[in-house]
Amino acid sequence: MSIHRSVAIRTAVGLGAALSLTVLSACGGGGSGAGSATDGKIEGEIKFQTWNLRANFKDYFEGVIKDFEKANPGTKVKWVDQPADNYADKLSADASAGTLPDVVNLSPDLAYPLAKAGTLLNLDKDKVAGTFKPEYLDGAWQGFDMPGLDGSYAFPWYLNTGPLFYNKSMFKDAGLDPDKAPKTFDDLFADAAQLAKKGKATLAQPPTVEDFGRYGVDIMSKDGKRFTFNDAKGVGFLTKYQEMFKEGGLHQQALTLTAETAGQKFLQQEFAMNPGSAHDLDTFKKNAPTLYNSLGITDVPTNTGKQNMYLQGLSVNSQSKNAATALAFAHFVTDQKNQEDFGHKVAVFPSTKGSLDKEYWTRADGTEEGKIRVASARMLPTAVNYTPVLFSDEMKTILRNEIAKCLQGKESPKEALDGAAEQMTKLIQQK
Amino acid sequence: MSTSTPTVAAKGAAGRPRTAAPGRRAGRTAARTHKAFSPWLFLAPGLLITLAFNLYPFLATVWKSFTDARTLTTGDFVGFDNFTALVHDDQFWVALRNSALYVALVVPCLVFLPLLLALLVQRHIPGIAFFRSAYYTPVVASVVVVALMWVWMLDDRGFVNGVLRLVGIDPVPFLSNQWLLLLSSMALTVWKGLGYYMIIYLAALANVPKELHEAAEVDGAGPIRRFVSITMPSVRSTMVLVAALSSVSAFKVFTEVFLIAGPTGGPGGDDTTLVMLIQRVGSGLQGRTGYASAMSIVLFLLTLVLMLLVLRADRKDKG
Repeated sequence: MSIHRSVAIRTAVGLGAALSLTVLSACGGGGSGAGSATDGKIEGEIKFQTWNLRANFKDYFEGVIKDFEKANPGTKVKWVDQPADNYADKLSADASAGTLPDVVNLSPDLAYPLAKAGTLLNLDKDKVAGTFKPEYLDGAWQGFDMPGLDGSYAFPWYLNTGPLFYNKSMFKDAGLDPDKAPKTFDDLFADAAQLAKKGKATLAQPPTVEDFGRYGVDIMSKDGKRFTFNDAKGVGFLTKYQEMFKEGGLHQQALTLTAETAGQKFLQQEFAMNPGSAHDLDTFKKNAPTLYNSLGITDVPTNTGKQNMYLQGLSVNSQSKNAATALAFAHFVTDQKNQEDFGHKVAVFPSTKGSLDKEYWTRADGTEEGKIRVASARMLPTAVNYTPVLFSDEMKTILRNEIAKCLQGKESPKEALDGAAEQMTKLIQQK
Repeated sequence: MSTSTPTVAAKGAAGRPRTAAPGRRAGRTAARTHKAFSPWLFLAPGLLITLAFNLYPFLATVWKSFTDARTLTTGDFVGFDNFTALVHDDQFWVALRNSALYVALVVPCLVFLPLLLALLVQRHIPGIAFFRSAYYTPVVASVVVVALMWVWMLDDRGFVNGVLRLVGIDPVPFLSNQWLLLLSSMALTVWKGLGYYMIIYLAALANVPKELHEAAEVDGAGPIRRFVSITMPSVRSTMVLVAALSSVSAFKVFTEVFLIAGPTGGPGGDDTTLVMLIQRVGSGLQGRTGYASAMSIVLFLLTLVLMLLVLRADRKDKG
């Protein structure tokens, strides 16, 4: 081998090694820098990320940002909004690369892995953030308490319980009282049996983890180390669903439909009841006027008397270079005034103390939207987030697949739930 | 730029080596350096891209497959634990079965049907350009659009079941039965791929000598005989290429099944393919990237073996 060739090869190898190191260092660079103090001066630029809100609330957020910058001269908030799909993937890419925004919109299940990885500020342990705690509903603040991480990791933002829509015409055709929607799961199963006799499906989705919670099943052990929904109550619940599926109470494609495709089939009046939100009313009005004219709105059945609380929050990046500004902004967006303003723009509910006692959330104004708003607000003080923060997407699929096997008759309810609980517990223990 | 010039110039008439002048020697060294480095400079952009986006991720995946890495943690070295766990993972075997079935059923269709289609559209008759374009349209259409179209057609209240109802047949559960779902996805893959491979075959058929067909025709050979004895041997290499390309694609199928069977992979996850399982296990904030990497390595090895088998079969045929 000539000296020149060996030089060329060495150079090429060197280039490759240098490149690999560059890529490695770029990928491994996340989270290496320590954040600044939260009690420092409120100044500088921060990045604020929301989750699919720009399309409908651009003006609202630009107004809030403007107000904050005006109240805190020398600050600049750069707002980014991410689409609804693959939000978790975007967060994981940002967190891995060390580019997580300073203030980020999260739900508790998304906050947990980030908090565990040390990328979020523990608000309970922070001397500045801790002082804001009394402003929020206790349940909402606790919603971001992370098991094993000793503290809360986001300012509670907006809440929702979500109504259940039902098709009054289908109820009437099946001989049911269209003004008497099921309140408990026992009512639901009885109505479903009646509807099935007339060849009509009631629901288009198998039970979710929240349904187990609303039925009164304990989802996890108190120490958060294992899933416990495979107890007698859980098995009883799934047995009822299995019977309902056999009778035709669930849509034929229920095992493969997503929430979105099920929603489309509800529009086409292929089944009788579907959970949703106040946003859906507009869709019904525009795309399914016949359905809209016979639409019933009720609470989702619950045996515990408590609804499921869907919770959103704003977390602060623990590595933020302007942590004081980030913290101040996260608090500003979630303070009573801004939360209530937001609640007036969209059918969500503020998580600040005293807000839900105001007339807007306690007295119906005669509209359908008003009816949903007051009914949902009434349920919120006692509502519970039945989805454990440790519940990952993979666990969601495991549970759904095991339930599907049971509904198809391939496994008994006990076998299906034991299988799901075992696999999911294993996933927790692997961490 | 001849390599022999300096050597010849450096030798005397009697063939005795002559000492080159210092300037000449420097020039020669520069030329050699130039010769050694120039190819690398031309290669550098492609090489850097390959290193950064192919080789590095591949090596990183190999390394990760031996760790218990998660999305946000690098994890510890666990040896072959992930591979051992795969052996005991029922979902992995279901996914492997589905991917293998995909290869077994889709590849023969994609090897033979486009060839037949190419033979049909090869003829020069009025309006044939329309048919060539029509068969090629699914190739350029987005797979998402195509899948949605198929879902609408195969739905309980879709076009196909509507027609069946009209003739008094009960609706077929294309989108809720485990096997029908998988077959529907395969049909979609075949339908979408037909045009692409048809074009490849058209190019190959253009090179088949017409004289052979004419001679066979004179000898009394019918269309089937001519197809078996002349056309197929002439395009055999292309068929191998199509088999290799389509088998790799079939093993890596994701979008079609994901869109038709739903994100859970059909009822109870029974239609999950290997790539769907890798995506499910390895993505999200709590994704098990180490375990998903182990699955990716298995998929890579299976694809490699499949490719080698196809190429070996081709070599044997030629031999």
